[in-house]
Amino acid sequence: MAVRRPRGHKAALRIVQRFGLGPKPGLVARIAADPLAALDRETRRPGQVLIHDPSLPDYAGAARLSTEFSTAEALFRTEMEARVDKHMAAEIGFAERLVIFWSNHFSMSVRKNEAVLGLVGQLERDVIRRHVFGNFTDMLLGVMMHPAILAFLDNADSIGPNSQKALWWKGRGNNENLAREVLELYTVGSGAGYTETDVAALAKILTGWSYVRRWEADNGWDGGSDANRGQFIFRPEWHEPGPIAFMGRTYQDTGIDQGIQVLRRLARSPLTAENIAFKLIRHFITDRPRPRDVKRLAGVFIKTRGNLKSVARALIRLPGALTLPPAKIRPPYENAVAQFRAMGQRWGNGNHGTFWGAMHFLNQQPFECPSPEGWSDETADWLGADAMTLRLDTALAFAWSFGRELPARPPDLARQLFGRALSANTQTAVAAAYDDYRALATLFVSPEFQRR
Amino acid sequence: MADDETVDPTAARLEAAAASGCAESRMLLTRRALLGLSAGLFSAAVLPRWAEASTGFDPRLLVVILRGGLDGVNTVVPHGDPWYETMRREVAFARADTIALDGFFGLNPAMPRFGALFAAGEAAVVHATCPPLRNRSHFDAQDNLETGLPGRASNATGWLNRLLTALPAGAPIKTAGAIEIGGAPLILRGPAPVLGWSPSWFWPMDPTTTGNIRNLYAALDPAMLRELDLGLRADALASGQGSDDGDLGTLRKGFRGAARLLAAAAGPRIAVLSVDGFDTHSRQGLLGGTLAGLLGELDLGLDDFRTLIGDSWSRTVVLCVTEFGRSVAVNGASGTDHGIGTAALLAGGAVAGGRVVADWPGLAPAGLVDGDLAATTDLRAVFKGVLREHLDVPASLLDSQVFPGSAGIAPLSGLVRSTAAPTASASLEFASYNPAPLRPETALARYRRARRKAARRA
Repeated sequence: MAVRRPRGHKAALRIVQRFGLGPKPGLVARIAADPLAALDRETRRPGQVLIHDPSLPDYAGAARLSTEFSTAEALFRTEMEARVDKHMAAEIGFAERLVIFWSNHFSMSVRKNEAVLGLVGQLERDVIRRHVFGNFTDMLLGVMMHPAILAFLDNADSIGPNSQKALWWKGRGNNENLAREVLELYTVGSGAGYTETDVAALAKILTGWSYVRRWEADNGWDGGSDANRGQFIFRPEWHEPGPIAFMGRTYQDTGIDQGIQVLRRLARSPLTAENIAFKLIRHFITDRPRPRDVKRLAGVFIKTRGNLKSVARALIRLPGALTLPPAKIRPPYENAVAQFRAMGQRWGNGNHGTFWGAMHFLNQQPFECPSPEGWSDETADWLGADAMTLRLDTALAFAWSFGRELPARPPDLARQLFGRALSANTQTAVAAAYDDYRALATLFVSPEFQRR
Repeated sequence: MADDETVDPTAARLEAAAASGCAESRMLLTRRALLGLSAGLFSAAVLPRWAEASTGFDPRLLVVILRGGLDGVNTVVPHGDPWYETMRREVAFARADTIALDGFFGLNPAMPRFGALFAAGEAAVVHATCPPLRNRSHFDAQDNLETGLPGRASNATGWLNRLLTALPAGAPIKTAGAIEIGGAPLILRGPAPVLGWSPSWFWPMDPTTTGNIRNLYAALDPAMLRELDLGLRADALASGQGSDDGDLGTLRKGFRGAARLLAAAAGPRIAVLSVDGFDTHSRQGLLGGTLAGLLGELDLGLDDFRTLIGDSWSRTVVLCVTEFGRSVAVNGASGTDHGIGTAALLAGGAVAGGRVVADWPGLAPAGLVDGDLAATTDLRAVFKGVLREHLDVPASLLDSQVFPGSAGIAPLSGLVRSTAAPTASASLEFASYNPAPLRPETALARYRRARRKAARRA
């Protein structure tokens, strides 16, 4: 449907904030003539969202490195630098925001073990980024057949109680954590009408979905070898035999294909469409999505069978998407990225301690959300009293650590970042600061920088 | 800025711990950039109703989570066990070097203040205890300690939040922090609102610039101004204006802030202090080692807390717990690895102290569980005992909502002084408590619920 195309600096800033990763010097002025077109451009070339970095390993290499803690930790650090560099390189950063959104949809904590630690980066590069403008079914299957999630949600040792393996490994059984989150978080979502019996059935369907641990590769146990060290493996002898009834249908035991069939069905469900639509609107536009917007976006998901490019383009065309006042606040990680973009600084050049320290005290260390539900999208969870004082303190620390070589003095930088959308109040406050570091920090904590 | 401005005395020791450590301690070193011990305080966002009424019943509870796995065996040393010196080799304390607690146990010499409290009957120890899940993973074991559930459950609510949900709620607390901090620890996750305050090592923004920013918010964003002002007030109260807290490590700042906030008339009554850094994989040492450094900070922190909470100390229980203990045998790096049974430390004027409560399983190799001290007391029994006697929480509520599936785990009684018992029973206040979910309701579920309700009305 036709949308009145927004124009001008104010509209451009809103789009950069709401759907991107924050302004870079000159960006707002550059796209002011047609900001929606600029946003659209970022959905047109899906190849641009991929990371081509020869120093990063492929799946097999990353999996191998992720069976040892020290190599996994080193890989995670490299992945994080590549990730932030990619955030910085993007023009507006809509595709990057979608990558962050989907990684949070499948949120995992690297504190779980070395498999998650080493592989979340590769999962994001090769699965999330590859399908961010592709199909949701492919993304779901890619994530589910990946070691990181099977480790994080305890599926790697989930053994069918009547499987061959269970015959001699007494007392072992299946674990329901992954099955539960597939239903409650990843697909149809809580309140979709499934029962505890369905959770238990899905858990049995997913038995045998595992990955090759170090000791299995070393000893050739349970299908492990040096060739598949750390990688996904389906173990038929761990899989629960026989037909399994799940959400009103019976699935024959076709091995791994049984689970794939079920996941395909779940990915296509209108309830999944509603879950995704609700979450996207809440993440990008408002804490309280309106039912008619959710319905419209879910409709696009259903009609295109989960085409995420169509969904993303429909999201930015929802009524109010470009015009609602900025009521949400940038969460800490994206706030740090916005500060790097504003300063034109590669974060690797400055003090890593400032970045990790800020993430620690502001409670958003990347890939360390303790809950599989992922980081909150509610403004109230990030706009707290403790968080506000820390936002001031960490903004000053960022200015000290990373702002020694700025593209311009802070008052000029403010104009380059916000163009004519810079408020007189912020301009005055930045100019009034008694040194450049405080001026920069004031700019970073100003409402036009923080809100979106 | 981090490297030269980090003054935390434990940073170097952490570095040593991480040198041959597991995931957690290495992350502390490499990615947390020498944060040192970090401590965050989180509390209930409302006063319990009993604190408002003049019942004379106004207890304080501070749960301290020592993350990383505290070595109970070298914190409260079982000198009476004939296997102790054999098993602990170069990191075995001589009896003469520890602080005698009873004929069997001696206290790590890094904790003289806790020792004095013990002698005065205001501190106690429960030994050979552990949360119910015993699998040696920090992540899973901390989850288990905080969810209060019998086994592994992803995405669950925390037991303390389930208690707060049932608690008869009074007025909102206005002294500390913000409602629903995104990063509250799992133990406080759930529907009951939570406040947060944490001492960071970041240099605070100076008053002049803060004033400028306040003016900016006043003109453009009143909500941000409101939160900032609340935060500044909490900081001022918690860090004690004109105090010398600035030079202390974050653990002590955390305890001092906790005391000042819990002492305030309208301040929180129930709070959690989450402390990182107890994962002593290497060079654990004796008097000058990693563990002594950590315990020394804890000892000073507890003493600060006692001093600063003032009169409320007599109504206070501080309960220090950890996710698991450490291997009984020493590893190749003079450290200890993830284990099972460990010690829980209690301090406070309301503690029936002066004793080590332990059904001691022994350090003889045959009695160990895969090389670890067995846990003869489920940590939930300790929690239930304290909640039952200190906060007068009814047993039925403990069994059904706070620790579901724990009916077979009897509360460990006698940890709290009978004199601290309520004069007017708080149990009555719990009579019809609000049920708390075992999993937090997602935003989507709330949305769908509202939609169904709207559909029924239409």
